[in-house]
Amino acid sequence: MTMPVNPVMAGVAESDLGETPDRNWLENAAIATMRALDDAGLSKDDVDGVGFAGADDYMPSLVLAEYLGIDLPTHTDGTEIGGSSFEAMVEHAAHAMAQGKTDVTVIAYGSTSKTGEENPYESGQREDHPVNQFTRLAGLFTPPGAYALGARRHMHEYGTTQEQLAEIAVSTREWASMNPKAAQQDPITVEDVLDSRPITDPFNLLDCCLVSDGGGAVVLVSPEKAAELDIVPVSVTGAASTHTHRGDISEMPDLTQTGAAQSGPQAFEEAGITTDDIDVAQIYDSFTYTVLVTLEDLGFCEKGKGGEFVEGGTLGPDGDLPANTQGGGLSYCHPGHFGIFLLIEATRQLRHEYEGDRQVDGAETGIAHGTGGILSSSSTVILERGVN
Amino acid sequence: MSDSIPIEDKRESWEGPIPLPNGVTEEFWAGTVDGEFRLQHCGDCGEAQFYPRVVCKHCGSMDLDWEPASGDGTVHSYIVNHIPGEEGFGEFAPYVVAIVELEEGPHLTAMMPVDGDDVEIGTAVEARFWQISDDTAMPVFVPA
Repeated sequence: MTMPVNPVMAGVAESDLGETPDRNWLENAAIATMRALDDAGLSKDDVDGVGFAGADDYMPSLVLAEYLGIDLPTHTDGTEIGGSSFEAMVEHAAHAMAQGKTDVTVIAYGSTSKTGEENPYESGQREDHPVNQFTRLAGLFTPPGAYALGARRHMHEYGTTQEQLAEIAVSTREWASMNPKAAQQDPITVEDVLDSRPITDPFNLLDCCLVSDGGGAVVLVSPEKAAELDIVPVSVTGAASTHTHRGDISEMPDLTQTGAAQSGPQAFEEAGITTDDIDVAQIYDSFTYTVLVTLEDLGFCEKGKGGEFVEGGTLGPDGDLPANTQGGGLSYCHPGHFGIFLLIEATRQLRHEYEGDRQVDGAETGIAHGTGGILSSSSTVILERGVN
Repeated sequence: MSDSIPIEDKRESWEGPIPLPNGVTEEFWAGTVDGEFRLQHCGDCGEAQFYPRVVCKHCGSMDLDWEPASGDGTVHSYIVNHIPGEEGFGEFAPYVVAIVELEEGPHLTAMMPVDGDDVEIGTAVEARFWQISDDTAMPVFVPA
């Protein structure tokens, strides 16, 4: 299988991050969208495709389009598969582009997870829900508890240790220390992670992502449109998505293997490259374990060897696989659905936007892999510098 | 007939969620207040499933019958939950939440009102019911 067309990431942007008490979720999404269009050198009148997920509204793409005054788009995408929705939307946009349905699609996210009211679509656990009427009675603090159940099983089957999981948090913080936008920039050690407060043992606080306000957006354009723009082009050359379960972690077929074991190989095949070709990786890091199991499933190391793989700073600035180079959900920001920020950072690295150690030298090829729900959905996007 | 699972009446003290049975879930909850952990068994492929559905998740058959399960199983994975995940669980924290593999095959996520030191992956467990409303009793598990 090959991509029907290779969309170009023409614009990327965040809203203000961290705490935005004077903004609501839709404002954060709209601000990010307008900044991303500006980054691409486009205006909202150029937009003919709209994607929006994680909204406090069950018709998300409609609400963003209406708010921005985008009438009659020819591509609309309200896919909601959790944090990986945006990677899935990239895949969908590529197909719509191949059909001539869109030349300029915006994909956006916005939240006030930290300072706003609780999102009823995140917490909406009605007591007559056909599944949640059972799930809620476990009293599981989720999502951390669900991911921790996966981690514990991985530790049991493969001998993975809390120290190895902690290495992921440490490497990620090293990257965050170079990002002025990161919420947590002070270096940490493995001991700091192990000594942080227990949340859902085997996870401690520093195994868990932040809770932030903020939004993000990307603008995808057709290769023809990209040629008209003054941008450093970064192209999508592979994309695939899947899911295994929804809200009850006991429904996951195998706690130690995610859908990335399917979406990863499919996306790599589309791109015609392998894990060895990847210069920089953006791997959803809701929790340390999310990264470890995803790296295995994508094929960066053998199943069960993720712990060994991440030891010694592999994912850090001096490591063999620079990953989560803006500081990730663990240290930069995590406003609920982190997938949009994976695409933003992957694009910036491949544009060579940064200076010094913050830039992965000569990065030509990247991966953005989103995980949604509770290890539930998996969506892989392969990106390459240039027009393919 | 079935192994009867002990029921502890918590209707007075329970402050957590109370399920509202509907559709095919009514049959499950009706069993709980009689001390029965009812599982659906497929008339075509023979597999058991939990949670209840109108379709067999294994083969797609709609020929499903209810049979009481033993309530016995083993711990497939577990965590120690230091932060209550729902209202009503605060008084138990820290408490264990486990994925239990029932001896009939299905997995479910359930609370274990025990100390983390009492549980390992592979620990044999058995069900108890906490009756939390007139119509429902929630399954919890303790080491066998």
